[in-house]
Amino acid sequence: MSEYVYLFRFRGVDGPASPQEFQAVGQKWMKWLQEMTDNGHLKARGQRLEPTGKLVRGKQKTVTDGPFAEAKDLVGSYMLIEAEDLDQAAELSKGCPIFESGGFVEIRPVMKM
Amino acid sequence: MNEFMFLYHNGGPPLSPREMQAVMPKWLAWMKELTDNGHVKDPGQPLGPAGKVVRGKQKTVTDGPFAEAKDVINGFTLILAKDLAEAAELAKGCPMLEGGGAVEVRPVMKM
Repeated sequence: MSEYVYLFRFRGVDGPASPQEFQAVGQKWMKWLQEMTDNGHLKARGQRLEPTGKLVRGKQKTVTDGPFAEAKDLVGSYMLIEAEDLDQAAELSKGCPIFESGGFVEIRPVMKM
Repeated sequence: MNEFMFLYHNGGPPLSPREMQAVMPKWLAWMKELTDNGHVKDPGQPLGPAGKVVRGKQKTVTDGPFAEAKDVINGFTLILAKDLAEAAELAKGCPMLEGGGAVEVRPVMKM
């Protein structure tokens, strides 16, 4: 088994419309997280990130407001998982409810140092 | 102290093993400084250049990391800082910046 990171990318600003929708989505996340845990794939739950931030760039170390990508591509949260290979890691991600909210998942291998 | 995430952007194609070896001591020195000053909550993970993107209701799988080479995220660290301004200051020590890379500094959502 190797480690992979899920980068959950979705609109940070406009999310689910109503408290009920929010709760429904939240429950789906919990269910999926439980599944991943039960099947031995969840290594560490990550953090959720605010859609705001700063960007420090280049040799000049220029600081600008606002995060890096376009709003719809922003990394909103992440997770550390274990899987046989990148293909399996991608398969496992399909249970995530983020796809219903218009978001997507980027899967990257943790570099073995 | 508040939590912030540093998301590292390479600013170019992935580093070769030799380039990696060259930057490693600078990286470790910077990490050590941050750790010694109580700013590292979690050292995070370096990410390999490969990847997949799963997208849409069809959950279509495509190869490759997301974004063009220079925008690819190649690692992250969880940081403790007083506020966003301090977190951005701390990010300036990152050796990735010398190579034209960038550090995206994001506040962790308070739940």
